[in-house]
Order: sequence, then C-alpha cells, then structure tokens
Amino acid sequence: MTALNPRRDQLEDFFDNAPCGYLSIASTGEIVLANRTLATWLGHDAAALSGKRLYDVLPFTGRVYWETHLRPLLKIQGNIDGVALDFLSAAGETIPCFASAVESAGDAPTVKLAIFKAAERRQFEQSLLKARAAAQENLRSERATAELREQFIAVLGHDLRNPLAGFAGGVRLLARENLSEKGAKILPLLMGSIARMSELIDNVMDFAKARLGDGITLDRNAAEPLTPALQQVVDELTPTYPDRRIELQFAIAEPVDCDRARIAQLVSNLLGNALAHGAADQPIRMRAQTAEGFLQVSIANGGDPIPPEAMAKLFQPYFRGEVRANLQGLGLGLHIASEIAKAHGGTIVVDSSELETQFTFRMPLG
Amino acid sequence: MSPALRNNVRVFGSGERVMMFAHGYGCDQTMWRYVVPHFQDRFRIVLFDHVGAGASHIFAYSPTKYGTLDGYAQDLVEIAEELDLSDVILVGHSVSAMIGALACVKAPTRFGKLVMVGPSPRYIDDDAYRGGFSETQIAELLDFLSINYQGWAVATAPVIMGNPDRPELGIELTDSFCRADPDIAKDFARVTFMSDNREDLPRVAVPTLVLQSSEDIIAPIEVGEYVRDHIPNSQFVLLEATGHCPNLSAPDEVVRAIRAFV
Repeated sequence: MTALNPRRDQLEDFFDNAPCGYLSIASTGEIVLANRTLATWLGHDAAALSGKRLYDVLPFTGRVYWETHLRPLLKIQGNIDGVALDFLSAAGETIPCFASAVESAGDAPTVKLAIFKAAERRQFEQSLLKARAAAQENLRSERATAELREQFIAVLGHDLRNPLAGFAGGVRLLARENLSEKGAKILPLLMGSIARMSELIDNVMDFAKARLGDGITLDRNAAEPLTPALQQVVDELTPTYPDRRIELQFAIAEPVDCDRARIAQLVSNLLGNALAHGAADQPIRMRAQTAEGFLQVSIANGGDPIPPEAMAKLFQPYFRGEVRANLQGLGLGLHIASEIAKAHGGTIVVDSSELETQFTFRMPLG
Repeated sequence: MSPALRNNVRVFGSGERVMMFAHGYGCDQTMWRYVVPHFQDRFRIVLFDHVGAGASHIFAYSPTKYGTLDGYAQDLVEIAEELDLSDVILVGHSVSAMIGALACVKAPTRFGKLVMVGPSPRYIDDDAYRGGFSETQIAELLDFLSINYQGWAVATAPVIMGNPDRPELGIELTDSFCRADPDIAKDFARVTFMSDNREDLPRVAVPTLVLQSSEDIIAPIEVGEYVRDHIPNSQFVLLEATGHCPNLSAPDEVVRAIRAFV
C-alpha cells in the first residue's frame, strides 16, 4: 500500500470519514455527492442527501449570499477560500460553517465544497466584532465628554471675567484713597494677583477655544506701537515680586504687524514663568528688538536648568515642570504662548543651561 | 472628481453605438466578462464599478447621495454626460436593472434602449404584490450580510495568483474580484433590498428587454412579469438558465437574447 495507489476502500473511508464535510453540486444546484461526515452534521442519511438541492441544506440568508456573492465568484475565478457559510440541519437548526469551493470547468461543471464546522470560531469573531463596536462607542462618548468639558471651561472662564473686572475696578478706586502704610503695601500685591488671575483665565479660555475648533484668532494692527503694551505686562507682574530685578531693553524701531494683546499675553506667560521658576537672587533680562525683518523678544533667567527630559514636553498642554506647591498652575501658559507664536507665523525657542534659561520668541514683522 | 475616475470607467471596443453594462449588488464590472467579448467588435463598450465596489473611489461615497437607488442612477447619467454619449444601450443586472431604468427616466436622450437582467422593483411582498421576500426575511438577511461583511469582506474576495483551469481569465486573476468596501456594501445591501421603485416602471419610455432566469430566488419569474407588464414598451424573454446570474452561468443564452433585441 502506497499513497499513490490507494485501494478503493481506503479512498471511500477517507472520503466518508474525513474531518470535514464534502459536498459536490451540479450546475442545476442538485447535490451529486455528500460524505458521511456532512450528512451526520446535518442529521441526514448520506444517501438521502444526494438528490436534494443545495438550497435544501442552506438557510434563507445563505441562499441569497450564495446567489449574490459566492456563485458569481466561482463563475469568475473558479474557486473561493474560507468563506463563512451557514448550513441548515434536517431539524431546521443553523450550523455555522466555513467553506472552500472549486468549480471544475467544462460542459457540466460541478462545484466541490469542503466544509468545516466553525461554531466556536464564529462566536470568537462575533465577540471581536462586538468588542470593536464597543471600543468605537467608548471613543465616541469619551470625545463627546471631552468636548462638553471644554465647553464648560470656556463658559466658566467667561463668567469669571466679570467679577474679576469688578474687583480690579475696586482696587483701582482704592488706590486713589489715602491709605495707611500697610494698605499701600497690600494694594500692589492685590493688583498683581488680579493680573495673574486674569492671565490664567485668558489661557484657559484660549485653550478651550482652540480645542473647540476656533483656534487662536488674531486682531492684527501694525500702526499701534508695541513697546507700551510690553511695558504694561512688566508693570502688571512686578508688584507680585517687588524684590526681583528685571533688566529691560526695548529697541522696537519698526512697526510690527501683530495682535498686541496676544503678544502681551505671550510675553506675560514667558515673563511669569521666569519670575516663578528663575533663581530669586539673579536678575531677569528681557530684551525686545526689531532687526532684519523680525521681531525678537527674549527673556532669560538664572537658576537650575530645565531637565532635558522635560524639554520635549514643555509646550504641551497641561505640562508642569517641578513646581513648588504655591506656584501650581494648569500648565497651559507655554502651550498658549506657542500657539500665539504659531498664529503669527513665529516660533518660540528655548535654551537652558547651568548659566541661564532663555526663551526667545521670533516673528516676521509683516 | 470626474465620474469616469470615480466609477473606474473603462471604454473599449469599436462601433457606432455604445453599450453600457451596469453590475449588480455583490460584484463589480468583471460580472460582464463572458458577455462583453461578444459585443466589443460591433459596439463601443462602457464598463464601470458602482461607488464602493471594485476599483471605484470609495472617497466619493456619501451616505446621503447613495441612500437611494437614485444616487446610483445619477452616476450613470454623469458618466454618459462626461463621455458625451447618446442613444446608449444600457444593460443592467439585478439591482442595476432598476438603477438603469431610473437613469433612462432621468436622461431619455442619453439612453436609447434598456436591457434588464433579473430585475426587481421591490423585493418585499406588499399586499397583492409578490416580491418574494417577507419583511422579516429581509431584516434577517441584512443582519447576516452585515456580520459577514464586517468580519469577512476580505475572505469573500480571495486574491489568487493564477488558475490553470481557467486560462481564458489571463493575468487579471492576480487581482481579486468583486471586492467591496464593507461599510458601503452594508449600505448598498440595505438600499437594494429595501427599495421600492414600482412607480418608476411606467415612466420608462425606452424600448426595454426583460431577461428572466427560469429559477431565481432573488427575482422570481412573477416579479419579472410584473416589470414587463408595467414598462410600456417592453419585451420579456424567459431564459432556460437558472440562478440569479445568467450573465455568468449562461452567457451564450444571454448574448443571443440581447443580440436579437439590439
């Protein structure tokens, strides 16, 4: 006995008791041959199967799928591999299967199918599909929640502005009164805090707006001078740090086509950082100049350098460096600053060493 | 995007008159490969893929436009307009028989004759009308197709690298046939099987040939007769062939019938 010369009874045994179902169909759709394995699965007598039609062993959906997809494919390319195809048992139960098929060419083509039971695999596939659908649904709802949260932040920020404006007005009125020595010391601190708070609100609102798709909007004006706007930023921030020295150098000789309020916000963020993180015993050097078609504002402070691993994340939203407990913020300042720079077609570059940490904003003049 | 690009339009053959072939649900323009060679010597042939099928541009898909068969019919008209065709013999199989009828109603000068292979204006039974399917069956079917498409769209269109038994298919075999974008195919199945275009039949003014298989579970004989009875200028040919795709299983008989008509 060799594999090349099997005896007839061996072939029959191999056919009938194969671990898969065999089925051959004439072009009329009549079943020509079915093996015992398939007959057993379907609850038929093998002999009773021949003479029946393919449609008799397919559920309704399988018949339509066969006509619209599988039969055309067989006609076009002669074979199909591993497609899902359910069968129908004599008792009317659906039996999930996979089938491969070939169609022989010639005048009386027959289709030969090899059929594998696939109940567990089908279950596995369906749970995969369900898991995918659930994951997509989760993602959708997470996104919706995130959007709602950002809308909430935008509205909250907006609502906080009004009471804060009232507060600032009150403090300004108080400044005109005759105050005690103690009162005169406290007032600038209050003004500094108001400026800081209003800056935080601006950042939060800008961030929320950018997330909601509005982006940073600019109101450019090249005619107005920029220096006073920058000076005001310094004046607003210094009261909080009365002991810190800030070396200022303004050399803005050319008109700058920018949104001055935005640039002031950018500089305020950079300067606020320098004041908060720089060494208290070293001066901050701020230089603003126009040269060779660019505006350049650099702000440098002494103290510990920014760790290299933090450099890459510096401009990401919600990033906070090693902050001291009393200086906790949202970590939006540098992110907003870089967005404002981008909106102006500019960049912010950071250099940090043992000697000093310097942020440089650079944008084309117009 | 140009309709010709969008629908992967192929134009070949020679002749004064034009034949345009529209494939049905579940396949693509390769559906016509055994029929077209019999006509390309005497006609200009236009083949295309519906958006979502074959090598069409799926980015052109819009659930709104293709939410009814009308959107698909619009594509046929747009192709005819872009190629500046008139008096076209339009051959549509299965759901595209109805899509073709809608195109003829929309642009009666572009299309001069219509051949409907296995048409059905409505698949679901409705009072006295017998479409062949109950509403439950169609719901069950759409469910099944949606599962099969999500999981096994790739498996239903295996890539095969050559077929010694079918040398006539040549090197195109290295590509896969009847590919469909799973999401679009799901939509197309729903649009197809839920469609009801019975009222459009009397508006088809062009001479029409209805080709009916003698056994077709998708479009039974009485449905074909219904189409014949409601299109004013129509002929009906009952084929000996069985099954829903006589253009594949009995191309010679289909070719003979179309030839006699054109």
